[in-house]
Amino acid sequence: MTAGRAGLATVRSWFLPSGTAFTSSEGATLGFTYFTVGLTVAVLHVTEGTSPWVMLASVFLVNSVTPTLAYATVTASGGSMTAGILSGWLVSTRFGLFAAAIAPRLWKSRVKRAIAAHASFDPNVAMAMREDTDDKVQRVYVASSLWLCVPWWIGGTLGAVIGARLSDPGALGLDAVFPAALLAIIWPQLQRWDLLTIALVAAVAAIALVELTPGGVPVLAAACASLLSLRGRR
Amino acid sequence: MLTWMVVVALALGVYAQRAAGAVLIDTERLSATWQRVLEVLPLAIISGVVALATLSDDGELAVDARAVGVAVAAVCAWRKLPMFVTVSAAAITTAALRAAT
Repeated sequence: MTAGRAGLATVRSWFLPSGTAFTSSEGATLGFTYFTVGLTVAVLHVTEGTSPWVMLASVFLVNSVTPTLAYATVTASGGSMTAGILSGWLVSTRFGLFAAAIAPRLWKSRVKRAIAAHASFDPNVAMAMREDTDDKVQRVYVASSLWLCVPWWIGGTLGAVIGARLSDPGALGLDAVFPAALLAIIWPQLQRWDLLTIALVAAVAAIALVELTPGGVPVLAAACASLLSLRGRR
Repeated sequence: MLTWMVVVALALGVYAQRAAGAVLIDTERLSATWQRVLEVLPLAIISGVVALATLSDDGELAVDARAVGVAVAAVCAWRKLPMFVTVSAAAITTAALRAAT
């Protein structure tokens, strides 16, 4: 009985780290957002023809939606498999940076760090980095990762199941949903002028080159727009 | 459409970057220039991919019902609607326009 209670208290402390800035309402917002994103994206992939089992593997192994969305978007509009995979890799460079940003504050053990790396997303790293001591950073990272990943895994799994039961995907306007989903993901960043400029230059470059160059080149040209971030800053 | 091979390739590529960040890269030594470029690289790629998927088909420019669907999605995102509403609006608009024409 007491052992059970102690166990419950431990699990509770994983989700709600005491003495930190992390609150349960932040956790709930994170969970709700990632649940709906996971559900939506899994339904999209499965109705487009992806096997539910492959989708399930993607949810746990890729552990992110932007790489698969980028792949599906590129290939659905006529790009090759190689161009799709390359785009999928390139959109995840930010995870490496987030992982690198939080790494010095995490546990010394490389094994623990390697596991923590798999859970690096944008919001959980940002929330953990608000804390002042390494111990708090680690506890908030665990909590925010749980609030984010568990609902996303459940949403992704549900989406794979639901998507497999939807019929007539051809009538769904699916070629519009992949760019729509990616647009929804980047929208918050477009509120900043410098980032909006980079996004517009990237879009114009890709469209300008689409009829002139082989597939894959327009996306790489869009990638070059990231060099504009060096402009005027020292 | 995702296949086993694609998922494995994406999973390896994504995890390699995350693990490299957590175990190998020392952010203090990575130059500020590289950090800035790598930070905005995903945004640039996604913008290019969205533009291509909205306005081109198989390497040719193509403006059709899809572009209207994505435009409706942009309005939904601007109104801060949840992602499933945004995506559904794009799908319904595109499908309805195709059915009507």
